[in-house]
Amino acid sequence: MGSIAPPQHPLGPGVVLPPKTEEKVEKKVDWRNLPCPVPFEEIQREALMSLKPELFEGLRFDFTKGLNQKFSLSHSVFMGSMEVPSQSSDTIKVPTAHYEFGANFLDPKLMLVGRVMTDGRLNARVKCDLTDNLTMKVNAQLTNEPHYSQGMFNFDYKGSDFRTQFQIGNNAFYGANYIQSVAPNLSLGSEVFWLGHQRKSGLGFAARYGTDKMVATGQVATTGVLAFSYVQKVSEKVSLASDFMYNHMTRDVTSSFGYDYMLRQCRLRGKIDSNGVVSSFLEERLNMGVNFILSAEIDHGKKDYKFGFGMTVGE
Amino acid sequence: MASKAASKGKGKSGKGSKGAENRSASKCVKVWSTWAMKKAKVVAHYGFIPLIILIGMNSEPKPQLAQLLSPV
Repeated sequence: MGSIAPPQHPLGPGVVLPPKTEEKVEKKVDWRNLPCPVPFEEIQREALMSLKPELFEGLRFDFTKGLNQKFSLSHSVFMGSMEVPSQSSDTIKVPTAHYEFGANFLDPKLMLVGRVMTDGRLNARVKCDLTDNLTMKVNAQLTNEPHYSQGMFNFDYKGSDFRTQFQIGNNAFYGANYIQSVAPNLSLGSEVFWLGHQRKSGLGFAARYGTDKMVATGQVATTGVLAFSYVQKVSEKVSLASDFMYNHMTRDVTSSFGYDYMLRQCRLRGKIDSNGVVSSFLEERLNMGVNFILSAEIDHGKKDYKFGFGMTVGE
Repeated sequence: MASKAASKGKGKSGKGSKGAENRSASKCVKVWSTWAMKKAKVVAHYGFIPLIILIGMNSEPKPQLAQLLSPV
């Protein structure tokens, strides 16, 4: 007769039972087929996407022209103030204007992105799938001034329920990280890095718990940084995110809370910070491929007000 | 005694010259690798964007040269 087998112990050899037709459909965990976790550097991606849009001050105009499916050129103009890091608490702003030319080649197996500015600075990114599971990424900023260029090679290996990455950078930087799915919703990872020239090394651990409706992450590192984030997807169009960061070396504590409205014609992101910074970023779709951008950042603590507007044409 | 001192002196100078050879070999490697990295950086700096454009213009469907240069 159609007798249903007695429910297996959840920690036993995993067997996925077919969903029962009762109201409560309980899916048994298949411990042998856990999903692949997100890459270690993207462990906080939902929180970063919602809380850290690219705020700017001044005018920004980006034009992307596609020549065919895979190849496109981009022209980008920026006129405004850029902040120069200063020792004192005052912000020093330098008015700058630059034009940036870029070329992108996007293939499923090979991605090449290059951007060059009028002062000769080149920003290059290469991503190449060497095999199905092994990917090589190169990221470089090359300048005309000597000793200011930077480059980083990453080798990523993706397993069935884990990912691992090895990094080599200039200034004798070596890093590695590893992340593993330990439950359908939970993944744990760790990273280690070594800076040759300064003889510094660090170790860090991270955890991510995510469901369809929420994502919570935590990170702790021997560099003295502790970071937590929580993102709740309230509906298809609205997400709320919050973030907490503590730096033991500089005794810096920051916490922020923000929202992300993804509507049909626009995307609005806003956030408020414990440092007294209120910021907002609006991308409005005027027409197919034409976006209007407004950016605002008000720092009540330092009395620094930044407003920017711009337009993006092309995909 | 004089011969012992002489042999000691020779032994030391012998080791010294071998050590100098090893040091200069590793120094050579370092100097050449630094030279190679410098040349590679210049090549990457000037050649990366032309490389992307070359690969892109040869991908299917082939775009026209006019499309590359015109602003529309």
